[in-house]
Amino acid sequence: MIQATVIMIAIAAVLLVYAWRLGEDRHIRGIRSGTATLKRTLPLLVVAFIIVGYVNVLSPQDLVRTWIGPDSGGRGLLIGTGAGMLLPGGPYIIFPLIATLYQAGAGIGPTLAMITSWASLALLNVTFELPFLGWRFTLVRLTIGLLIPPLVGLLAGALF
Amino acid sequence: MRRHKIDLTTWFLAVVAIGLAGVAWAHGGIDMALDGLKRGGYELLRVTPMLIAAFLVAGLTQALVSPKIVERWLSSQAGWRGILVACIGGALIPGGPYVYYPIAGALLQSGAGVGVLISFISAKNLWAISRLPYEFTLLGSNLTLIRIALTFAIPPLLGFLAELFFGRTIVQIREAVR
Repeated sequence: MIQATVIMIAIAAVLLVYAWRLGEDRHIRGIRSGTATLKRTLPLLVVAFIIVGYVNVLSPQDLVRTWIGPDSGGRGLLIGTGAGMLLPGGPYIIFPLIATLYQAGAGIGPTLAMITSWASLALLNVTFELPFLGWRFTLVRLTIGLLIPPLVGLLAGALF
Repeated sequence: MRRHKIDLTTWFLAVVAIGLAGVAWAHGGIDMALDGLKRGGYELLRVTPMLIAAFLVAGLTQALVSPKIVERWLSSQAGWRGILVACIGGALIPGGPYVYYPIAGALLQSGAGVGVLISFISAKNLWAISRLPYEFTLLGSNLTLIRIALTFAIPPLLGFLAELFFGRTIVQIREAVR
C-alpha cells in the first residue's frame, strides 16, 4: 500500500513537471480539474466507504463463498459477469466494493469476471450508446463481448 | 463559492448505506452499527494520500490530452490500421460515457468502420489510462495488474472480430442513427 502510494505520488509529480514544461498553464488546469473532480466525488466516496465498512462488519463470508467463492466454478463466473453488467455507478464505488467482496472470500475468477464485465458490458452505459450509435451497434458489441468476462475469469482462476 | 450538487447515484447509495446500518444494528446493536462506520472511515483515511495523488494524475492527464485532439486524430482512420489507432485513442481519451459516445457517434458519421468503433469503445473500457489511478488505489495493485494482463489483447481482438463478422452492417448502423 505504501509502495503503491509512493509510485502514484511520483507519477503525479512527473506529470506535473511535464505539464508545466509544456506551458499554457496546463499544470494549473490539471490541478484544477483534479481538485474539482475530487470535490465533486467526495460525497460519493464517503458513502461508498461507509458501505464497504458495513459489508466488512456484516461479513457475508458464507454467502460470498457459496455464490462467487474460489470453488463456485462456472456458476460463479456467470454470476460475476451478470453482477458486473448490473452494478450501477462509476469506479469510485465499484472498485472499493469489488475489493471488499474479494477480501470477503470471492474467488479470483469471479472477481475478474465481475471487473471486466462492469468495465466493458455495463448496461447503464447503453443508455448513452443508443442515441449516438443505435441498437444495431449495441447488439454487435454485446454479441462479441459477452463471452469475454467469463473467459477472463476462467483464465484468472487457472493462472493466478 | 460554487455549490456542488449531490447526484442521484450518491443519494441512492446513501439509502443503501443506511439500510446496511439498519441491518448491522438489528444484528449486533449500536456497537455493530458504529463499528461499520468506523471501519469504513478507517479504510477511507488509509487510501486518502493515494487518492489525492490519483485525482491529480487523472486531472493532469485530462489537461494533457483533450477529447478534441483524439477526435481529430481518429477521424481519418479506417481499416486494420485504424483499429490499432482507435485502441490508442480509446485508451487516451478522458471523460465518461457522455464524452466518448458523442465522439464515437461523430466518428461513425464521418466514415469509421465497425471495427474502429468497437476498438475505440473497448479500449476506453479496458485500457482507459485516466481510470488506472483509481483502479490501483481503490481495487488494489494485485487485482489491477492481473486485470491488465488478462484484458490487454481484448480491444484490438474485438475490433478485428467485429470487422470480420459484422463489417458490412456498418451501412445499416449509420443509416439507423442518421
